[in-house]
Amino acid sequence: MKRAAIVGASAIPVARSLSKSVRDTASEVCLAAIADAGLEPKEIDGLFVSPPGLSRPGGFMWSCTLSHHLGLRTRAQAMVECGGMTAALAFKLAAQEVALGRCRFALALGVDVRADEDAEDFEHFLKGMTTALLGLYGPYDGVFGLAAPIPYYAMSAQRYLHEHRLSREDLAEVCVALRRFAAENPRAQHRKPISVKDVLEAPPVSPPLGLLDCSSFASGAAAVVVAEESWAKEAKRPSARVRAVGEAHEPAHFAPLKGPISRFESASRAAAEAYAEAGIRPRDVDVAEVYGVFSATELILYEDLGFFERGASAAAVRDGRTSGSGGTVFNPSGGRLSLGHPAGATPLYSMVELLEQLRGGCGKRQVKDAAVGLLHAEHGMLNGSLVAILEAAP
Amino acid sequence: MREIIDAQTAAALRQFGDSASEEFYRRLKAQRLCTTRCDQCGEAAFPPRSFCPYCHSRQIHWFELPRRARLYAFTQQGRSLRFIAPEVIGLVDVEGLGRILSRIDAPLEGLRIGQELEVAFQELTPEIWVHHYRPVN
Repeated sequence: MKRAAIVGASAIPVARSLSKSVRDTASEVCLAAIADAGLEPKEIDGLFVSPPGLSRPGGFMWSCTLSHHLGLRTRAQAMVECGGMTAALAFKLAAQEVALGRCRFALALGVDVRADEDAEDFEHFLKGMTTALLGLYGPYDGVFGLAAPIPYYAMSAQRYLHEHRLSREDLAEVCVALRRFAAENPRAQHRKPISVKDVLEAPPVSPPLGLLDCSSFASGAAAVVVAEESWAKEAKRPSARVRAVGEAHEPAHFAPLKGPISRFESASRAAAEAYAEAGIRPRDVDVAEVYGVFSATELILYEDLGFFERGASAAAVRDGRTSGSGGTVFNPSGGRLSLGHPAGATPLYSMVELLEQLRGGCGKRQVKDAAVGLLHAEHGMLNGSLVAILEAAP
Repeated sequence: MREIIDAQTAAALRQFGDSASEEFYRRLKAQRLCTTRCDQCGEAAFPPRSFCPYCHSRQIHWFELPRRARLYAFTQQGRSLRFIAPEVIGLVDVEGLGRILSRIDAPLEGLRIGQELEVAFQELTPEIWVHHYRPVN
């Protein structure tokens, strides 16, 4: 097996809607990532993509229409989908094809565009929505009229607070900390500073979660180029070598039948696999980008990934130990809550941030001497997780 | 609008369901909340299956859930496709089975973790009934 490295990356600012068509947006970030790697488009021989919007129909043969549009002649390509983990799997396939020696330069793309709420034909929209939501939440949970996964995560938050005797203030602290990072990130959707009071007084969404405890509807696109580590070295490209990928899925969909919802087994399993493969411990990680789509989820993940004891994340956040005053720095991009969460692209936004951190080019939000990075992505209330360990190279 | 949601829900239940979900809703219509248990390993499954998801035996039988359960977690959603918002949603701990998602037919304010609930039934359409839970007084 060869060693894979991330050699180029690009992402557009996260916003509620895309300012251009999905195809124009996707083409723009792909070409920018290729240029960032110092390559020509004709050198790309692998293309792995998310659907052109997770909640949008019409993705049939999207990898083919995109390779046609970009003029890419590949040795491997596919569209992949696994909920919020989608773009991480596009990356994984790109890295695997490079490691197997099938592809020299593989491109991974994640793009998402918010569902169109203002559909002109309301009846058509309602029909599509009813079917899509029942398909997503299944024939049992779906009939209860769930309009979003928020109630599941809200109940997870309620159990986490209940079991560890924590409060909504503890959740609010992490929202504030992430917003402070986002203020320094030109790609972030929400950059205006907020206070604990703002979070506590925001309109309730699903108790105990209020509006600022939740990531908001977002669109965006991000892409990375993966190449052999030896090429990156010879070409002297500042890159991130892929030291490990761990992945774990539980036989559950949203709320599990048994087992706790105040912690997520898949994240711990995927992390344990990745740490073992890389031969490192959590404390060796300088910077982590984790998939905290809600405030409580963010805190739970710090613990699931082995950084703190159960229930101890909140105190660490309050003391500044998660944002630069010692130890691993979490979500310097602003995280899902403030960078934004275009789900189909989110894991690649994390990867773009990690590459830039490991290259040392993040300005005011730069993590000092960042050499080892951790990426976490998940699908459907953490019933599956992917953890990748990256290392600065050279 | 209600007619569209009802018709589409029925169609989606067929599209995304299976033989076990069809039987589940047949029994719910008769106001019986049921699932399947494996004859071989004895594990109860939820959702019900036409086989055992633990030992994969095809020898299963249907049984009715105990009427009482305990509230494990709860919240509400401000927007719902079907019900009047805000809609209280909970995870209900059923002894010998595990936790299932349900509507909770009570205001959020009076609820607490661990309280005892009892199952009740609600007609969505003549064909589709759902279970929900109410606090035991």
